[in-house]
Amino acid sequence: MTSSSDIDRREALRRAALVLGGVLSAPLAAGVLAGCEARGAPDGTWRPRALTPDQAELVATIAEQILPATDTPGARAVGVHRFIDALLAESYSAEQRERFVAGLSDLGRTYQTSTPDQQRALLERLDRVDGEAAPFFRTLKELTLVGYYTSEIGATRELHHVPVPGRFDGCVPLAQIGRTWAV
Amino acid sequence: MTRDDPYDAIVVGSGITGGWAAKELCEKGLKTLVLERGRHVEHAKDYVTEWLQPWQLPHRGRGEQELYERDYPIQSKNYAFGETTRHFFVSDREHPYLTPDDQPFRWIRGYQLGGRSLIWGRLCWRWSDLDFEANLKDGHGVDWPIRYKDLAPWYAHVERFVGVSGERLGLAHLPDGEFLPPWQLNCAEQVVKRGIERAFPGRHMTITRVANLTQALEGRGPCRARNQCARGCSYGGYFSSLSATLPAAQRTGKLTIVTDAIVHSVMYDERHDRASGVRVIDRNTKATREYAGRLIFLCASTLGTAQVLLNSKTPRFPTGLANSSGELGHNLMDHISKAGAGGTVPALEDKYVYGRRPTGTYIPRFRNLGRSREAKLGFVRGYGIQGGAGRDGWSRGAEMPGLGADLKRQLREPGPWRISLQGYGECLPRHENYVDLDQEQMDQWGIPLLRVHCAWSENERAIREDVKTQSAEMLEAAGCKDVETYDHDGPPGFSVHEMGTARMGRDPKTSVLNAYNQTHDVPNLFVTDGACMVSSSCVNPSLTYMALTARAVDYAVGELKRRNL
Repeated sequence: MTSSSDIDRREALRRAALVLGGVLSAPLAAGVLAGCEARGAPDGTWRPRALTPDQAELVATIAEQILPATDTPGARAVGVHRFIDALLAESYSAEQRERFVAGLSDLGRTYQTSTPDQQRALLERLDRVDGEAAPFFRTLKELTLVGYYTSEIGATRELHHVPVPGRFDGCVPLAQIGRTWAV
Repeated sequence: MTRDDPYDAIVVGSGITGGWAAKELCEKGLKTLVLERGRHVEHAKDYVTEWLQPWQLPHRGRGEQELYERDYPIQSKNYAFGETTRHFFVSDREHPYLTPDDQPFRWIRGYQLGGRSLIWGRLCWRWSDLDFEANLKDGHGVDWPIRYKDLAPWYAHVERFVGVSGERLGLAHLPDGEFLPPWQLNCAEQVVKRGIERAFPGRHMTITRVANLTQALEGRGPCRARNQCARGCSYGGYFSSLSATLPAAQRTGKLTIVTDAIVHSVMYDERHDRASGVRVIDRNTKATREYAGRLIFLCASTLGTAQVLLNSKTPRFPTGLANSSGELGHNLMDHISKAGAGGTVPALEDKYVYGRRPTGTYIPRFRNLGRSREAKLGFVRGYGIQGGAGRDGWSRGAEMPGLGADLKRQLREPGPWRISLQGYGECLPRHENYVDLDQEQMDQWGIPLLRVHCAWSENERAIREDVKTQSAEMLEAAGCKDVETYDHDGPPGFSVHEMGTARMGRDPKTSVLNAYNQTHDVPNLFVTDGACMVSSSCVNPSLTYMALTARAVDYAVGELKRRNL
């Protein structure tokens, strides 16, 4: 990333943040943001709503295996398990929710009785088979990616995000951008 | 029931044509009332999701599936519908309409001030005489009562105010307009463009002509390349009634806007043979009231306008006002779309884009142009192809093997360049595609439910097939890999280009409107939304609706001054 695009990015973020402050205080935005605020609670007070605490812990553990902490935080730190729990509680139908929980329980039975090496091997095997043979793992992987790369850390530190680009350049050196665009 | 002093003009609807009618009428000095059935939306202030970043969306853009299935089963199929835009689409549950079980029709609607101009696709093309002469030449539908030369100055008039960016091509069948500088093609699109134009002389790939401002205009814009237009844009970066036409109308001091006012019917004064006003039901209180006006412009959308007229029955017009021809509600059209081809553009690994361009590429029609050595095809009319290329992002990770730090590292860099092409094909006007009113079922405001009967014909199906074959051949000729065709065959309505239910024409016996969008039957009643269209062309229709509206207002106000109305 060059210094000039870095400045653009900071400036864009600053401007967006200024306007954001005004808009967020509007009562109309309150409904839209209700879900966010509920999940903004500090770690100690968060309680899953669709999953049991043990199931949420299992989701967090496997999500961290899929996208671990490296030089940026991993799936657990950005709260992928919270996003998945919220999606299950607020968006999924009862039937979809039950299917997810059943898949999680199946995977959990083998996973939780295995050694760390065996756990890793199990996930790698599920990852390599065709999606139809391991539909639950495929869903969990996809939701982990969504939860991670749309998080603030995922979008702005792991990837690159500019809320207000200001212009479009159709062909620039990749090195000038540096990373995948978050959006 | 209340009666205000009569307005000089009443405009029903505040979408793309209602906004234009209001602006033109007000600027000509007429005291104008705009009636909008939905809620008030204030530019900028009510774009409540505009500044939300991905992590601030409760469901990260995935939305609430269960809610969508219950309340938005039809609206949620539209490409622009989602967690950030849902409030600009109607609830299907609150606004029912009927279709035969085996003949679905997707009616996409936005009931609010500004209507669907908030959520439209923004492509702006002039039609040509290839379009205006098509019905006459191949015998489908009736002849347009106008030709390109009648509309050309009005295209220029609306383009200058809308702000259309685009590239001049010098094609007779896709006339150039008054353009702002075009958006750029990206690196991969430039490669594909060169490949297609080399392999298929006479075919072109260009950037779309689009109502996103590449330069500031009339105090609006420029567009900031966020590509989230349907959330609303407080920069005024794209054209809508809220950003452009209604504020212009407001500046004249002649405009009155009433929202939450559902027009039940147009009132007709038999003795003077004039429309005398409109009957309105308050959306919230359900109270009825009337507004009197000397001129009535229906801009309530193709199906909305048909519903109002069909529901305006009088002794002289027992099947609906201005329906002496029997064509009211008939000849419904949409465009075919959601079929084409996609592929991978090789190389260019060290290239990327900056910003989110709010539009894509376009391959203008190249079939049935009337040239001498043209291939004989199994269909009449033609299609254009929209498209665009981009590098795969993080979401490709869900479809590829990989776990852990290695997966994260791979997704930190963008994936290969992919290109996708999608045809938009012309639909023939056919009497058997029509809407009417149900005799028994009513909505919660006591208005009979609209029944939509619409199906594709053999010609549209043949166009779909050619779209797929040609899209794939062009991508392959341009050097793309892994080229595959696709076909998400959707029912009519899917393209949100519905038109034709009160067509223009030369003969009052076979058409509802004359060459100036005036009903043949009732001199002070005009229809300038998509209902007026006689054929569908293959290009997006909104710019033509806008030009026809401005032209109709000019004529109507002239007639009013000449005391002919």
